[in-house]
Amino acid sequence: MLVIRRRAGESVLIGDEIEVQVTEIGPTRVKLCIRAPKEVLVMRKEIKLTREENLAAAQELQLESVMELARRIQSGG
Amino acid sequence: MPHFQTRDFGDIEYCEDAVIEFPAGLPGFEQEKRFLPIEHAASKPIVFLQSLSRAGLCFITLPVRALAPDYSLALSPEDLELLSFGEARPEIGRDTLCLAIVSVAEGKPPTANLLAPIVVNMAARRAVQSIQAESGYSHRHPVLPAPGVNACS
Repeated sequence: MLVIRRRAGESVLIGDEIEVQVTEIGPTRVKLCIRAPKEVLVMRKEIKLTREENLAAAQELQLESVMELARRIQSGG
Repeated sequence: MPHFQTRDFGDIEYCEDAVIEFPAGLPGFEQEKRFLPIEHAASKPIVFLQSLSRAGLCFITLPVRALAPDYSLALSPEDLELLSFGEARPEIGRDTLCLAIVSVAEGKPPTANLLAPIVVNMAARRAVQSIQAESGYSHRHPVLPAPGVNACS
C-alpha cells in the first residue's frame, strides 16, 4: 500500500490514464476530482459493499429460517 | 386488481396504491423499479419487499429502529429529489419508512445493512436505497444479539 500526503489542488496519477485530484479539504472530508477512462468504473466503496450485500440478500427465501428469525426478534434474541 | 406470480408467495393480488417505486433501482438491481411491501402477522416485524418484475426477487427487511432505536437519517440532495420530498426534512416515522435489507445466509448469523437503508416516502410511494456513509453503522449489522450476552453470571 502506498500512502501519500497531498494538499488541495495536488494530484495523484494511477497508471497513464487515471488522475485523482484533491480539490477541497474540509474539516471532516475532502473533495476529490477523478479523471478516468469511461470503461473504468469509479464508485464509492459503500455502493460496492451495498451491491454485494443486496446480491447476497436476494438469495432464495428459506421460509422456515425467516419465521425462526421473526420469532427470535419478537422474543428479543 | 392486478396480480403477479411470485416464487415465494405464489400468485399475489395487490393494490396499485401499495406499490413502492424505486426510480433508481437498487445497487446490483438497477432495473428493478417496482416493489410491493408484504407483511405477515406471523413474521412481524419483517417486511418483505417483493419485486413486481422478477418473480424470484424478494428482500427480507426490518425497520431500522427495530435494530437501532436511535437511528437517524442524513439524506443527500440527490436522494431527497429522488424521493420527491421537496423542501421537507424527512424523519423516520413521520411519513418516512426506513428499512434495512437483511441477509440470511445458511450457517451464518443474519445481518442487516444499516449503512444503506431503504428510505420510503410513504405519501409519494417512492423509495431509494440511501448510503448513510457518516452514520457509523455497518453494512453487516448483527440482527440478533451475540450468543452469550444473556448468559447467567
